[in-house]
Order: sequence, then structure tokens, then C-alpha cells
Amino acid sequence: MPAGPVVRLRDITKSYGVGAAKTEVLRGVSFDIDAGEFVALVGQSGSGKSTLLNIIGGLDNPDAGEVEVLGVDTRKAGDAKRAELRNKSIGFVFQAFNLLDHKSVLENVILPASFSSSHKDAVGRGREALRRVNLSDYAHRHPGELSGGQKQRVAIARALFSEPKLLLCDEPTGSLDSETGKEVIDFFRELNAKEGLTLLIVTHERRVSSVAKRVIAMRDGLLVETTDEALAAAHAGPAG
Amino acid sequence: MMPLPNLVRMVASNTMRSRRHFALSVFGIVIGIATFVLFLASTEQVAAVLEKIFPVEEVEVIPPKVTLVQNDTKRLDDSTVSQIKERSEVSRVLPRMSLAFPAFGSGSFNGSQLSLEVGGAADGIDPTYVVDDPSLDPEQHKYMADLFRDWEAPGVAKGGSCVPPPPDGASTCPHPDRYYCDRSDNTCHHRVPVVISPTMLELYNTEYAKSHGTPMIGEDFAKFMIKQGGLSAMRFSLLLGQSVFGQTVASGRHREVEGVVIGISAKAKRIGMTIPLGYIERWNTEFVNPDAGKAYSSIVVTLNDQRRIPAFAQWLQDKEDLRLDDSLGQKFATVIFIIRLVLVIISLVIIVISAINIAHNFFMQVTERRRELGLLRAVGASQTDVSALVICEAALIGIIGGILGCLLGFLMSLGLDYLSNHYASGFPYKPSTWFHFRWWIIGGGLLCAAGFAVIGGYLPARKAARMEPAQALTQN
Repeated sequence: MPAGPVVRLRDITKSYGVGAAKTEVLRGVSFDIDAGEFVALVGQSGSGKSTLLNIIGGLDNPDAGEVEVLGVDTRKAGDAKRAELRNKSIGFVFQAFNLLDHKSVLENVILPASFSSSHKDAVGRGREALRRVNLSDYAHRHPGELSGGQKQRVAIARALFSEPKLLLCDEPTGSLDSETGKEVIDFFRELNAKEGLTLLIVTHERRVSSVAKRVIAMRDGLLVETTDEALAAAHAGPAG
Repeated sequence: MMPLPNLVRMVASNTMRSRRHFALSVFGIVIGIATFVLFLASTEQVAAVLEKIFPVEEVEVIPPKVTLVQNDTKRLDDSTVSQIKERSEVSRVLPRMSLAFPAFGSGSFNGSQLSLEVGGAADGIDPTYVVDDPSLDPEQHKYMADLFRDWEAPGVAKGGSCVPPPPDGASTCPHPDRYYCDRSDNTCHHRVPVVISPTMLELYNTEYAKSHGTPMIGEDFAKFMIKQGGLSAMRFSLLLGQSVFGQTVASGRHREVEGVVIGISAKAKRIGMTIPLGYIERWNTEFVNPDAGKAYSSIVVTLNDQRRIPAFAQWLQDKEDLRLDDSLGQKFATVIFIIRLVLVIISLVIIVISAINIAHNFFMQVTERRRELGLLRAVGASQTDVSALVICEAALIGIIGGILGCLLGFLMSLGLDYLSNHYASGFPYKPSTWFHFRWWIIGGGLLCAAGFAVIGGYLPARKAARMEPAQALTQN
């Protein structure tokens, strides 16, 4: 891993729409995330959390500013380089799971292997990823046969398949009941504690942010101080 | 870039998943390619048949037309032949000579007595022209080479003396199927070998046989009958110097010889009959005058390349004051070219519509699969990977559609041939099949199918590749 922060953001701006309909989603956001950190990004709906997460993950481009992820300047890197970064070094977990219903659980987990020749023994490693999330017996089932919690664990196994250095999670417990959500949060905490995996979780749930080592709060496209009041305000609204 | 085996697996998986889209897209391509290969194979075969009958590289030089104000027409003789031979674009020159006096043939066929005016409807040509016809198979070639020759040419041994048989009696000469006893010199002569054109056979089948109730003759049957000892059956007497209407030559001279139809040849005079040139030269000299035995009716010229026909025609006009007969081969080639062009355009229109259909289906699919495509980007697919995925799915439709289209075209050709053989067996010049599926037709069909499918998939692929993954992942 290159020296320096895993994520380095400087003066990131992003807006959608044009003219009168133009909305500034990010208005000069800067922060670093070091290796091994467990960071919660909190804020009300529309505060720009998910947009920022997508920019870090190379799924979206900022209008201005500097984005450096694992030593790669993603604004200057070409599409192929960004794709390689996502494939090998970044794992994504989404609120809506985003599993392919026509593929089996195992096929969903090893999906990243389709886009690189460097993934050896994909099936073996896919089974290992499923074992880590306690779904070894579900390898040949299809997502439609699973509960919400099981689906999210499959999504986590897919995110861990490539042994990423950075895990980006967008409301990972948003579609889960509290008990299942707690299991997922505990799993993330364990991953961070035992394996030193760097995590950035976008959430509006206090129980999630409470286990994070650092909380970054956003309001109206800007970072705000992480005081108790600010956090309370950030957790007050729905996800955005 | 995505490894090829993974791409193939993913394309196959997606195709199997979207069977309805696949079937909708493939259908148009199958129909388009089936018509494409069927039309091309059909025009290819028809062109080949016509080219055999009317060779495109072969032209016929004829004298200028006689007009009221100018009657000093250019004569075709050996000097003309020599001048044409000197041309670089010319590979073979063979003069033809028409029978220049009244004559008629008569004989019996299947119990019916047939008489046919031959004066003006018979000509002579160098025997090699008929014998070397490339459409003859080796057996036919050997047979023709054995029989179609000038048996009266200087140096050829004559038969012995004989006693003429009574009318309708059998020949008294050795090998009576070939030799007859000529009453003018009581000597055995080989019957004059005659070839007739497929057109004559068609005329017989479509006109004479119907009106006279005689059996129809297939070309193969005629060849078989002529070859299998049919020489006696196909013999006839030829009265030189007298027409079937009673007209005679000025000198009143006439004599009878015997001829035998030895085969069907596309090189024969289209309406009439053709015999070796030497006979006509001698008979014209004997019954008209020595000049008539040296004046050719036309000169058959084979060129190295059909593209040099215009230059040759211009030279003939400018230097020799001669012209080319309106070549049926050229006319048919032009007609076939235009028909082929129209049919290919029709099938291409169908294929283009199929490509538009593919584009429409893929636009729908890309929209339906936005979230999936966004996910693929999230787990490491580049824009190129997504684009390649959609393009290859379209190409697979093209390849499978192309293969099925070629198969359907072939099956349709079998069906059409079956119908043709059962319901139009008497069609003039009907070949055994109306279709010739050359490798370039099949290859062109497959390429065309894949190419147009890829073109159809291009814009949807570009749309899929340019889709913002972050937005795609948030949409339902």
C-alpha cells in the first residue's frame, strides 16, 4: 500500500442540473482517511454523503477538487485505471444489495473475477468469502431465496472477494431489521479490528456511527463539526 | 480489459437469460439472411446457366446491315479471320458458314415422318468449337471428338464401294449405324454428323411434340438415346439443292446425302443445325459457286477478357467496317446483374430493418439493465468492457441469425427445387437446381448478419458504456 492516507479529498465540489435548476451537492469538501480507520459519514438526506462516497469509489466525478484513493489520482486516471482500482482494491456494499437475481449466490460473489485475469481460483476464494459471512451452505441458491440479511451478507462477501484495501458502504443496514443490522455492524467492526480493513460507511443510524472510530458529519454539501448536537442533527433525518 | 473467456461466458449467460429479446432480434436477421443467400444463389445459378448457353466472352462478328443506298457490304473471308487473329485481345477465331442454297432434311421419329427446311437454317463450324465445349463432361467430349468431324475432308479414308439398298432398306455398308451407301457414287460414306441446339430441343418439346402428340424429350434423355445406339434412330436424309417447298438451285443440280444427329450442343446454330465447316464449304462451292464456299456468315471470336469487348467492337467498326452481333450473352448478363442488384437491395433492406430492430431491442435492454450495468462498473468493469458486452451480445444474435438464415435459405431452395421439378419440369433450359450456394454467398451472408447486428448494437453499447454508474445504481 502506498504511504499516506488511503483517501485524500481536497476542495471537492459537485453540482447537478443547469441554470436555475442547478443544485450544489458538494461545496468544497476536504478530508483524509488513513489506513485502518473506521469512518462513519453521517448527514441528513441531500447532504451529499452518497455523492461523496461515489466520488471516492470512482463511480462519479467531481466538478472540481482533488481525489486521491490508494495513491491513484482518480480525476486524472483513465476509465480503465479506475475500473482496475474498483476491481482490485475497493469493495462496495449498497443499501439495496444490488445482487443479480439470475445468478447464484456464489456467482454473485465471484462477479468481480469476470473483469480481471489476475483473480486466480475464483470459485475457491468465493466459497471462502461466503464462509466468512456464514453462508457456505447457500452457494448455489439464488438471491430470490434469501432473506434481506442474507442478501446483504452475500453483498458483503462479494465486496470482500477481491480482498480490498478500502470498503465503501452506502447505508448497509438501511434495508435490514435492527437485529440483522446489528450483526452486519458487528461484522464490519470485526473486519476493521482484526484485519485492519479501512471502512467508510455512509449512514444516518446512530448505532452505526457509534461504533465508528471517527464520524464525519455533513450538512448542505459541507463538512460540519462533529459535536454531539451536530451528530444529533445529522442522525435526525433519513438517508441522503 | 475483460478476459475473452469471461466475456464469452457472460455473453452466453445474458443471451440465455433474455430469450424473448434474443428471439425477436434473431427473427429479422434469419429472414433477411435467408432471402439474401437465396436470391444470390438463385441469380448465381441462373447466370451460370445463361453463360453456358450464351458465353459472355464470346462475340460474333457479322457484316454490316445491308441498306437501300449501300449494297457493297464487307465480306467475311479468310483475310478477315487473319486480321482478327492478330488482335492481342483475341484468343480464338472460328468462322461460321451458312448453307447458301435450298436443302431439306427428312426422316422418321417415333413413327412420325418429319421434314425440315435446312437451307438458311444450317451452318458449319470448325469441329473443335463443338468438341471443346467446356460444359461437356469427359465422356461426352470423347464421344463428340469421335463423331463430330469432317469425314469427307482430304486425307480421310473413304468407305468401300457398295450397292445402294432399296428405299427404306438397311445400309449395305460395314458399320451400318455410321455408314450409308451414297447413290451418287455407289460408295460408303460416313453420315454427316449433326448437332442441334438446346433451343431446338425446347422448340420441339414446347411446340412440335404438343401439336403432333409425339413424346417430350428431356435433354439428358436425348443424349442418352443418341449415345446408346440411337445413331440409327436419329439418322435422316438430306436432299441438297432442293427445298421442302420444291424450290431448286439455278443449275437444277441436286443430290441426297445422309446425316445423323449425334448430340445436343449449346454451340450449335440456335434455330437449325450445325455440321463441320468442311461440308458446308464444299457444298456451297458445288451448288452455288466457288466464292460462296469462301464467304463466311459470321466469325466467332473468343476474347481474353469480356472487359475488352468495347475496344474490340470499336476496332471492328473503325478499321474493318464490321460489327458485333447483338450478343444475347451480354444482354442476359446485364439483365441478371440488374435482377441481382434489385434482389440484393431487397434483402439488404430486410437486414437493415433487422439491425434497427436489434438496436431498438438493445436500447430497451440497456434501459432495463441499467442497475445491473452500474453494478458491473462498480465491481470493476470498464466502459470498454460494458460496450464489448453489449456489442458481443448483438454479434451473437447476428452469427446465430446468420447461420439459421443460411440454413433456412438452403431449405427454401430445396423446397423451391422440389416444386419446380414437380410443377414446371418442362420449363425451358431448366437446370436440375435453381440455386448455387457458393462459399462466398454463405460467407457473405454470415458476415453481413454479424456486421449489421454489430451496427445495430453499437449505439446501445455506447449508451451503456457512457451510463453514469452512480446514477444507474440508484435507479429502479
